[in-house]
Amino acid sequence: MSTHWIVALTCCLSLPALAESTHPLLAGYAVQARQQAPQFAGFSAERGKALYFAEVPRNGKTMSCTTCHTADPRQPGKTPAHRNVAPLAPSVNPERFTDLQKVEKWFRRNCDDVYARACTAQEKGDFISWIDSIR
Amino acid sequence: MKTLALAAVGGLSLTLLVATSSVADDDNHNGYKRPKRLALPSDAPLLWKEECAACHMLYVPALLPAEAWRQQMQTLEQHYGSNASLDAQQAREILDFLLRSSAANRLPVEPSATAGEPPRISQTRWFAHKHDEVSAATFQRAAVGSRANCVACHHGAERGDFDEDRVKIPR
Repeated sequence: MSTHWIVALTCCLSLPALAESTHPLLAGYAVQARQQAPQFAGFSAERGKALYFAEVPRNGKTMSCTTCHTADPRQPGKTPAHRNVAPLAPSVNPERFTDLQKVEKWFRRNCDDVYARACTAQEKGDFISWIDSIR
Repeated sequence: MKTLALAAVGGLSLTLLVATSSVADDDNHNGYKRPKRLALPSDAPLLWKEECAACHMLYVPALLPAEAWRQQMQTLEQHYGSNASLDAQQAREILDFLLRSSAANRLPVEPSATAGEPPRISQTRWFAHKHDEVSAATFQRAAVGSRANCVACHHGAERGDFDEDRVKIPR
């Protein structure tokens, strides 16, 4: 009963961000986001994009998601330790954002590396909404 | 019993290696030798290959002594400036593999020059000795990257092949 209610609410609240299709991981992040902040009002691809490009000062340089993933997530990137990184955008790399454990692992590591904190469920959902919308 | 037998075989082959290397190898001085048996163990778990080569090249376990790997795995949340944390079960599986496959490395743990950092392969004495003819500028070439990027010049490094005859330093 309560599950149906949450799913129904999730669908309504997320409509603006999900005009085309719903990424499978968003429903779960919506439930979490509502637990973290009762005023949760859906995910925003715009905010997700801003998160990707936000620059944070680190050791005299700036750090952002683009440091490794480049300014175009459809392109391959490179880590500071010289490893190639496969493209992040699911439109060119369909394996991305399919395995929740992997997704959580990399949010945990990379949010800490870039923002020196954990990302919220709101931010994760925003980000997935944006990255999944890139064609 | 089985462990004892393995240890005995291990000890014997180590003795043989030391005996031959004192003739052929210029790195045997004051009892400090370059690491031996660098070849990638055939039982290397896929988990280790995937997790420990996502951000950097795959470093074969014999490059560091077991205690250095223990320190690596205890400090993954601050791994040379990056968060490389793993869940506990995966970390345990990887540590077990690292400990058993670095057993042939009898070198002392050489701490990193940077406080709070785990040991660096590229800051061991044998590494410095083996690369004493390679200039700092060469290591900084874009195609090389840094002292940590063995594969730039040792193309078989991820299989444990560091044979000098196959070194190609990119321009």
